[in-house]
Amino acid sequence: MLDLNSYGYELREGLGPFGINVNTNCDSCSSSCSSSSSGGADDGGGGTKKRRLLDEENQIVPKTLPLLFWTNQRPNDEDEPKDVDDHSSSAIFKNDGEGLVGWPPVKAWRKKVRRRVANVRAAVENSCGGRASSSTYVKVKMEGNAIARKIDISLHHSFESLTTTLMRMFDISDENGQKSFKLTYLDREGDWLLAEDVPW
Amino acid sequence: MHKKMAFSFPDEVLEHVFSFIQSDKDRNGVSMVCKSWYEIERWCRRKVFVGNCYAVSPRMVIRRFPEFRSIELKGKPHFADFNLVPDGWGGYVSPWIEEMAGAYPWLEEIRLKRMVVTDESLELIAKSFKNFKVLVLSSCEGFSTDGLAAIAASCKNLKELDLRDCEVDDLSAHWLSHFPETYTSLVSLNISCLGSDEVSFSALERLVGRCTNLKTLRLNRAVPLDKIANILRHAPQLVEFGTGTYTADVRPDVYSDLAGVFSSCKELKSLSGFWDVVPDYLPAIYPVCSKLTSLNLSYATIQSPDLIKLVSHCPNLQRLLVLDYIEDSGLEVLASSCKDLQELRVFPSDPFGAEPNVSLTEQGLVAVSLGCPKLQSVLYFCRRMSNEALVTIARNRPNFTRFRLCIIEPKTADYLTLEPLDVGFGAIVQYCKDLKRLSLSGLLTDRVFEYIGTYAKKLEMLSVAFAGDSDLGLHHVLSGCESLRKLEIRDCPFGDKALLANAAKLETMRSLWMSSCAVSFAACKLLGQKMPRLNVEVIDERGPPDSRPENCPVDKLYIYRSIAGPRFDMPPFVWTMDEDSGLRL
Repeated sequence: MLDLNSYGYELREGLGPFGINVNTNCDSCSSSCSSSSSGGADDGGGGTKKRRLLDEENQIVPKTLPLLFWTNQRPNDEDEPKDVDDHSSSAIFKNDGEGLVGWPPVKAWRKKVRRRVANVRAAVENSCGGRASSSTYVKVKMEGNAIARKIDISLHHSFESLTTTLMRMFDISDENGQKSFKLTYLDREGDWLLAEDVPW
Repeated sequence: MHKKMAFSFPDEVLEHVFSFIQSDKDRNGVSMVCKSWYEIERWCRRKVFVGNCYAVSPRMVIRRFPEFRSIELKGKPHFADFNLVPDGWGGYVSPWIEEMAGAYPWLEEIRLKRMVVTDESLELIAKSFKNFKVLVLSSCEGFSTDGLAAIAASCKNLKELDLRDCEVDDLSAHWLSHFPETYTSLVSLNISCLGSDEVSFSALERLVGRCTNLKTLRLNRAVPLDKIANILRHAPQLVEFGTGTYTADVRPDVYSDLAGVFSSCKELKSLSGFWDVVPDYLPAIYPVCSKLTSLNLSYATIQSPDLIKLVSHCPNLQRLLVLDYIEDSGLEVLASSCKDLQELRVFPSDPFGAEPNVSLTEQGLVAVSLGCPKLQSVLYFCRRMSNEALVTIARNRPNFTRFRLCIIEPKTADYLTLEPLDVGFGAIVQYCKDLKRLSLSGLLTDRVFEYIGTYAKKLEMLSVAFAGDSDLGLHHVLSGCESLRKLEIRDCPFGDKALLANAAKLETMRSLWMSSCAVSFAACKLLGQKMPRLNVEVIDERGPPDSRPENCPVDKLYIYRSIAGPRFDMPPFVWTMDEDSGLRL
């Protein structure tokens, strides 16, 4: 476990922002100017190893100590579960249609259609190339039925009319349909959303 | 008595010399030489780059650089692109605009990435900077077309308006009409992210027609195919063009019109757009293909044969963005046709599907790495990989500078041997000595990080997901990668030890992101207390971290160096660990 008292940390004195010693007299810098560093606040170099440009002979730049020394042993079994599955959490890899957040790492901005209600209709999965951009044919699949059917959404102006037609297409009788079937659509993020949640 | 130095030049001479030094890194180096160079340099720096808007305050920048003309700011961490940073986290540009509006009437250029920009800020920009020329908003959000209207109406000298990948509230398409009839200075316009269906085509045509210096025009999806010909007719001098939706009922007159207009665009080097593309209309661009150096087909849902035909017409292609519909066969053709290819990005057409829908495997990448000697930057989504392929790729192409591989299913092993892909990625870092950026995926143990720590000495940015076994992995990276600036990690079993043992390293980096890892709240507090020049942010939507035991892992951790101290614009689900007992609400 953590030993919060074990190792101290020393602040670097006398260095302004970006690690420059602002007290240095320009004349004395000529001897210590070196090309060992590409300079800048972005200078990597593991801190303690590379020589800072402004090291003067009489000024020791205090090193920063690690907060915890690396022991180079294998970590204790009790600290980290060896069974990686624990952290990866099989719970994360849901197979019920819910994916991982942000995986695969495809840019989210293309899929943030949910926010803009006005553009919800763009979330319709359009698999018909060769038509005008306002193509309104949608593939509809019913759970348990292998055959997908196509329906022209532009022919409908309400959810009632759409669901009635769909129920007819898939041979669902009236009372059954209303109670046990829910209409969902796939948005660009790959999430299934309830169709009734958004205005027509 | 001052010793006369042979190189004590008068300030003006030094300033003149410095004016040839443009790169940020070099400028920073110059300023570190001595105090007088620092002084001279700061007065003549014209372009300021702030890689993390919270690393420094606007006032500090303005104080140090009293005369800059151009500023570039970046806000949210990269993983915000993938929805890992909750909304409201931060990255607001208003404080910057407000400070600069007062201090810098002569500001000319603003470039922002992953920041929240409001209409008020845009209006302030329009009002405050009389010679404003360039506005580039990359992956930004928070503004509407009203803000754009203000820019259009007031910025008489505007040359560049680029809204790449932004989320814009489309309130009205008429913002374009706010460019006055007398306005003619537009050189670059990118509105590809706009969703509005009511783009006023006549306003667009008139704008394009009177801006004779227009070189870049990227339209949005709403612009139909039959409008493109008219627009291009007004701008045959275009160098970069992005179409809108590239689909229409096939009509010979529309086709020949389009083909004719493309033929007259003699300077065209870059094409993009191609939403909903219909293969029948693709040959219309053949006249320009031989000169094309950049082609973005990442929205083009056409199949491999059509892609192959297209690509075969583009021998001078340097940059290709495409969907995985191109398949291995298409990549093989690419490898034999496009010998100048430098950058390739292959995106998944069906990222959330469980089964592969196309025949794109590691073979495509192997082919391209073999056939394209100048290839240096790759982003590749696929569903299988092998160590053998990776080693071959590394040997073929040691000049990679950016290698980003995403095997879609997390923790996928080498499909031939079922082993982890440690050796394969190890070969990449070993052979590609100039590698600056690397993204890992697949089944990976601590070993891959040992390779990375040992060999990837020029690596500046590393992205890790679902990899590693223990803290040793993280330790290898933090202790070995000398040039590391940005590290982003998700879903890895990395905990406190490696982080605390390498705390000093974090001050040499721009930032570290860790989400769904195993870093405890106690470690975060310790880091915050002991490292005053780091901002240690705990992001946790489950509630305050101190409402859980200290050794509980935090959900998300974002650590970045800063000389501005903790920020004050945090939402309720972000806590900064600082010196005062670690918890600031």
